[in-house]
Amino acid sequence: MADTNRKIQELLSDYAGSLRDGCLPVFLQSLTRQEGKTMTCSDEFWEAAEVVRVLNGVGFADKAAIADAGLFASRVDANVASRLKKAKSSPRARRTNGTRSMTKTQKTEKPI
Amino acid sequence: MFSGKIYVTYSEVNAFYTRAEASLPLPGFIRRNIGGEPERPRKVGSNRRFMNRRLRNALKGLTAPDDDRRRRAMEPFVRETFQIFIRYLYRYLGNEVECEDVLEDVYADIWENPDRLQEVDSERQLLRTVYLYYMRKRLREVYRRMNRHLYLSQNDLTNLTAPELGTLDTMSQSELKHALGRALGRLKARERRTIELWLEGMSVRAIANELKTTVGAVKMLKFRTILKLKEMMSEYCPEE
Repeated sequence: MADTNRKIQELLSDYAGSLRDGCLPVFLQSLTRQEGKTMTCSDEFWEAAEVVRVLNGVGFADKAAIADAGLFASRVDANVASRLKKAKSSPRARRTNGTRSMTKTQKTEKPI
Repeated sequence: MFSGKIYVTYSEVNAFYTRAEASLPLPGFIRRNIGGEPERPRKVGSNRRFMNRRLRNALKGLTAPDDDRRRRAMEPFVRETFQIFIRYLYRYLGNEVECEDVLEDVYADIWENPDRLQEVDSERQLLRTVYLYYMRKRLREVYRRMNRHLYLSQNDLTNLTAPELGTLDTMSQSELKHALGRALGRLKARERRTIELWLEGMSVRAIANELKTTVGAVKMLKFRTILKLKEMMSEYCPEE
């Protein structure tokens, strides 16, 4: 990805490669302003990107599906428990730790 | 009176597929690497209800008003849908760790606000609803933090990582496999070889060496072939 003025087919190839290898941020960071504009203006790129995603899903998604669903369910349960706890703690109780919003602090200040 | 439903027996659909596939065989690569034959739909019609009983029961539990009951219903729901959802997310992220992180939040969002799933009556509709109302929001957040360093606008970044549903996105994994297999079968040998080698994990340079051509030519060929595939696969996209 050292080339800084890639054409649309090169951009698509690099996008497809980064998606396949799981390093999309590297591709995004490699884009120059000009390349960003080229991508944005090209309808063909967006159409091809849809197929690239489909190919990625059909060809490689099985890699992601090997995780244990039971183990994952316990992760989800922990996340839900944490949200439940947050919801149960009232906003009033949370404010007792001394923090105040900026507007309240400003209201209590005496004018000079 | 005609009710708008057309029911076809399993054996009729099976016979149709057998005839169709005999005339258009799937390429060997698809059989080998993408998981073989697609699943057969059991009914054809406007009100298809392809949802197994366990998933339907899990969905029922999710719409309970009580938080704890919904929490208990999450486990069977996760077990039933994990494989479907993570495969779908993988299309957009290409990274198992990120997929799991996003999916964890998606499930928690579903637990918190399951209203959108009340009317769902098929797996396709479930996937579509979950993508539009739960996954998409989370996908937008994945790379948002990077945006100040990028030359893409927020809108373009969203389009790239969490796009609107296109014609192909509404197809299920098995339908896509089938459509891709048939579309690949219709490509020219060199075009098909390029896509197959890429799907086997080869780099563009390695493909160029294999096909005895230049890197630039492979990129161009791949781009043109992908556009061709898009056109062909859209023909197999079933009507809603």
